Amino acid sequence: MIELKKFSYWYPGTEEPALQRISLDISEGEFVGIVGANGAGKSTLCYALSGFVPHFYNGESEGQLTFNGQDMAALDLGQLAGQVGLVFQNPFNQISGARFTVREEIAFGLENLGLPRSEMHARIDEALDLVNIQDLADRSPFSVSGGQQQRIAIASILAMQPRVLVLDEPTSQLDPDGTRDVFTALSKLVSTRKITVILAEHKLEWLATFCDRVIALGGGKLRAEGTPQEVLSSEQMLRLGIGRTQYSEAAARLLRTKKLPVTLEQAKKALK
Amino acid sequence: MRGGSIYIERTSGLHRLHPLTKVALTALCFASAAALPSLAWLLALFVGLLLPLAIWGRLTAAFLKSCLLVVGPFVISLTIIQGFFSGGETVLFRLGRFAFTQEGLLAGLTFAARLLVALGGTLLLMQSTPQAQLMQALTERGFPPRLAYVVLTAIQIFPSFQDRAQVIIDAQQARGLELQSGLLSRVRLLLPMVGPLILGSVMDVSERAMALEARAFSSPAPKTSLHSLADSPSQRILRWLLVLAAAALLAWRLWSALQ
Repeated sequence: MIELKKFSYWYPGTEEPALQRISLDISEGEFVGIVGANGAGKSTLCYALSGFVPHFYNGESEGQLTFNGQDMAALDLGQLAGQVGLVFQNPFNQISGARFTVREEIAFGLENLGLPRSEMHARIDEALDLVNIQDLADRSPFSVSGGQQQRIAIASILAMQPRVLVLDEPTSQLDPDGTRDVFTALSKLVSTRKITVILAEHKLEWLATFCDRVIALGGGKLRAEGTPQEVLSSEQMLRLGIGRTQYSEAAARLLRTKKLPVTLEQAKKALK
Repeated sequence: MRGGSIYIERTSGLHRLHPLTKVALTALCFASAAALPSLAWLLALFVGLLLPLAIWGRLTAAFLKSCLLVVGPFVISLTIIQGFFSGGETVLFRLGRFAFTQEGLLAGLTFAARLLVALGGTLLLMQSTPQAQLMQALTERGFPPRLAYVVLTAIQIFPSFQDRAQVIIDAQQARGLELQSGLLSRVRLLLPMVGPLILGSVMDVSERAMALEARAFSSPAPKTSLHSLADSPSQRILRWLLVLAAAALLAWRLWSALQ
């Protein structure tokens, strides 16, 4: 669905590439996690996968970046928005500021896509349900907490029903319950709608539980790729400054095994 | 009141009117403010039309308070300036070598009444119409959506800007910045607060623009709206009548001036 072949990218005015010769192939219905230390290139890769690089930033790029076989640079960002959704880290900046209630805020993208009113209402109700914020529907998006704003931002993108959903650290301001709600909603989207979810995140335990594949970045390069078990339990995670899940760390201290668990379930089995 | 808007949520006939009907009424108020010849006419319009509309909209207290807050200072300053300096023969009192005249007082009050009528019409529109609905009504009539977005966000974002400024003030105070001292030192300390506020907001612009693009803001599809704005043939006729009345008033004023 989205393919990168030896893709490199330089932000305007920089000499060091933010992404270096990345090759990736992401299929429809996959749940992919991106991990990396701060400055590793996670956000830039998210922008590339959603078309904002090179569309929005006028930097230099090399290699290929395609969406459904089409060169991403040749696609219009306005048209791409209905197919690839992007959720940012800072919830406040994602609120349009042009609508007075959460329901209207979620409708903002749908209005831009020119959807009929009845379909808008149906999609809004569904998106509110998915992230569990039905009770906020008639409140001002500015009068809710940061965590609730992030869920509104996610609901706003989900309502647009993109085929690919890219999220850049969306749970950084959420409490554990909010994080669980978001991951559960994303997992449901992947299993029921075959939406492709690409998620940059520091919360490794959640990635290990929900993702099909994990990509590790370091210094703008692809350092590791594989199942959560393969990637997140490796020693390389420590060298890249990413760390390991608490289950891997506990097992590394308690057990003499090379195959470290990365989820609670795996840890329980290993400890038995 | 929501966001930085002055809209007041009520269930009333005024609130249910189509936004453009209220825009036409505001246009008539502006035309009246410019064209009506005397204080009596202006006050009659305020008391006979605008005040009953505010009562109909269940906005009486808020409407009068806003009128007083905005026009009050103008009444004082205009009557003082006009009273002392616009001339006239009927001297009411003297202050040194300056005479305060009845003609000047009347001119000041008339000027303030013109402001009151124009402001009253605008207040009725803004207090009874959510800005999103107003912009929707305008964009449906060809107003550029991007400009409508700029107007709406400017209204909505302002309180958040205030919140951000408060966070910066708190952070600076936590680092020992003294803000309780005199006026001069407060002015001197403005820079460490304004700098982060402006820079932070500029840095946010890029992410905000991206977030808008992610919401298909530049989509070529014709935009639709979540809400439909109730309109009726009688309101359409009323709008035309209001606009014609406004035009007639201005034409009459122009004709009178030319005579």
